Amino acid sequence: MSYFNVYKIIQELKIEFNESIDFSYRFYKKDGQIIAFIYLKSIIDQNLLSNSIYYPIQTFQQMFSFDDLKDKIIKCGDVKEVKFSDVVKEILDGKVVLITNFTKKILSVDLYKFPTRTPTEPPTSPVIQGPREGFVEDLQTNITLLRRRLKTKDLILKTLRVGSQTQTKVVIVYLKGVANKKIIEEVNKKISNIKTDGIIDAYYILSYLEDRPNSLFKQIGNSEKPDIISSKLLEGKVAIIVDNSPIVLTVPFILIEDLQNSNDYYTNHHYSSFVRIIRLLGLMVALISPGFYLALQIYHYNILPLNFLITIADTTQGLPFTPFLEILFIFFLFQILYEVSLRLPSYLGLATSVVGALILGDTGVKAGLISPPGVIIVALAKIALYTIPEQSSQITILQAIFIILGGSLGLAGIVAGMVYLLNYLNSIDSFGTPYLAPYSPRIEDDLKDGLLTHSVLDFKKRPKSFSPNKENRV
Amino acid sequence: MIDKKISVRQAGILIIICLMANKILLLPSLMFQQIKSDSIFAIILMFSLDLIFLPIFLKLKSLYPNEKLIEIISKKMSKIVAKIIYIIFAIYFIFKVLLVFSITYVYFKQQIYQDEFLWLIIISCLPVINHALTVGLRAFSRTIELLFSIVIVGFILCLAFSLFTEMSMPILFVSDIKSFFSSIYKHAFSFGDYLFLFVIIDKIDIKKGDSKKLYEYSIFGMILVILLFIIFFSKYQVTAFMHNNALADILVFSIQFNAIGRLDIIAMLTIMSITLFQLEIFAYGFCDSFINLFPKLNKFVVILFFDLLFALLYYFSIGKYEILVNTSHYWSPMLGIFVNYVFPIICLIIIALSRRRKNERKY
Repeated sequence: MSYFNVYKIIQELKIEFNESIDFSYRFYKKDGQIIAFIYLKSIIDQNLLSNSIYYPIQTFQQMFSFDDLKDKIIKCGDVKEVKFSDVVKEILDGKVVLITNFTKKILSVDLYKFPTRTPTEPPTSPVIQGPREGFVEDLQTNITLLRRRLKTKDLILKTLRVGSQTQTKVVIVYLKGVANKKIIEEVNKKISNIKTDGIIDAYYILSYLEDRPNSLFKQIGNSEKPDIISSKLLEGKVAIIVDNSPIVLTVPFILIEDLQNSNDYYTNHHYSSFVRIIRLLGLMVALISPGFYLALQIYHYNILPLNFLITIADTTQGLPFTPFLEILFIFFLFQILYEVSLRLPSYLGLATSVVGALILGDTGVKAGLISPPGVIIVALAKIALYTIPEQSSQITILQAIFIILGGSLGLAGIVAGMVYLLNYLNSIDSFGTPYLAPYSPRIEDDLKDGLLTHSVLDFKKRPKSFSPNKENRV
Repeated sequence: MIDKKISVRQAGILIIICLMANKILLLPSLMFQQIKSDSIFAIILMFSLDLIFLPIFLKLKSLYPNEKLIEIISKKMSKIVAKIIYIIFAIYFIFKVLLVFSITYVYFKQQIYQDEFLWLIIISCLPVINHALTVGLRAFSRTIELLFSIVIVGFILCLAFSLFTEMSMPILFVSDIKSFFSSIYKHAFSFGDYLFLFVIIDKIDIKKGDSKKLYEYSIFGMILVILLFIIFFSKYQVTAFMHNNALADILVFSIQFNAIGRLDIIAMLTIMSITLFQLEIFAYGFCDSFINLFPKLNKFVVILFFDLLFALLYYFSIGKYEILVNTSHYWSPMLGIFVNYVFPIICLIIIALSRRRKNERKY
């Protein structure tokens, strides 16, 4: 009795795959029994197919039965029975599908293989001390990296498929009993509701997860390091791993996370606190120093120390630009140089430095187009930007706004701008967590990992900001 | 206005900021003109009267934990009484905004932006106020909570630096009883800041044992203002009436550190921040009162109405700011007296009525 017309099915699948060049199949015939192996040769391990599936089948002496195939003959990969309607999906997932004419059951063997790199230190988050492993583009490797750190049965991984064309696997990761159920449900709902043709990278789903997708500020955390993600899972957060992306997303996200660095937990906590304060100062300098300088120069010069005022007066005398236009000019000059240096090949990097620093900067000052204090202030702001590189794009835009505010309204403009910005940030919630927690609103217990961090011995409770199910860590 | 709840800490901080309204710049010199340094006793007396608001507020809150003030008044008195009270509230808050604006304008004009145009302060403040009203009470309360310690440190530094200069005890007991109470009557509008708490009564989340915190915050705010008055009068003695901007002026002739430069910037930033917070709070008070009067109105329409009304009043009054400040002696006491004395009595009647109803039910 023949259950499937194997040849006909292959012809149909061939058409379904648009006769793609990597669509492959093989047959094995013996005593009227036909077994067809169908797969995409670009994403499977062909050696494994030959050695672990095809060869054992060839050498099998008896008549085949489905159970023999599943349990005795094939001894590699993840072997499972699938429905006929799932055949295309299985093939696309890098599995070899076995269809026979002697049973209506279909087998799928996982032989997925594609070029991947080994976990190395991510360029975005280098550490002096501490683990150097980083996530890679392979989902399985990333899950392994997490499993290695969290050896608990409570680590839950739930897979969803997103993208009509890409069918990208998106895995929701959390610790059962620790992460807040409402947050898990919300993440699940938001990801399930994504309607798009493709998810190429984790960043593609960011906007779908954010409550305010048009906001200047990110509301979802991300990291390339398994140690960071593990610690966030322990805090009660939910992680989202996207296949083909080395970036793992975490929710809820609060702004202070960008002031924290994995290095902070691997060094003395007093030093960590000091460094965090420096980062905050860096953020403030980056944000308002050009605008503040302008406000002082234009409106409030009487509060500057006399010597500094004389220096400014000396250097700005005879400039063709007003102070406001001068700072704007230097600001955009720096921005152009930055964009150029990002896109130029590395061998041209030196040339950019020479043109930028020597020709434009030095000659600009000597020619009397711009003043040295102006250059120093803008350069300081631009360097300070990278104390928190994660926020650099947002702060660059805000720098320009504060220059306009400081230049046109003086200190009143800076104060008004700052209050406006804080009001805005305070109106943002990331999955129910206030964006500026634990400082606004003040959550005393969570301040232990705030600007002034405590020793890990004091981290006995999970941060209340993320509303974990279980507050005590042990 | 529909808003999420704020904590007692945030409410306490809002009260401290409200307590400073009109008092850190112009009020010390204005009061000095009438009753000299006895103004210290006047504000202590007024603050003590203000404190009576707190137990009344807490009692009302315990009786009606989640109800709006307008609903409480409507239920216990009548809808018309509630509407009349809310009309007075709206007028009170818009004039508070105007007065804070006008006083700050004087400060800006005299000490910071001598040559700048009148509308500068509007351009810098109004968008922030509008945004604060849009994002709601919880968001701007959090901002004030976040910046509170910095603002208070600035305030205390202003006071502390002035201690380095020559000072002498203010001359007390120089005014007669009549002028003392006349001064209190004239400046009644600058007090009664607890009214804001009543307006947001349904939006404060008071947990058991939290009420003590409200007293602590209030007393802290009052001590700061009283200290400012004492230091200001100790520093300027007989010339205090010339110094319109109290908090800024006590720094002007203080010790100067050459390496840092002039320290006026501390006063500038502190005053600007406090002013902006006060404007947000009072503007919210106005919009909330207005939206309760016309519940069908959209929040954005109310904000737009506030802008238009404010711009009109600003143009006709603060354009000649002396008019507002000088005429306020004539119209503001009425509002002040309603807020300080009539409204607490109304609240006491409501509490009494509620208790009686409760007792009736028991029997």
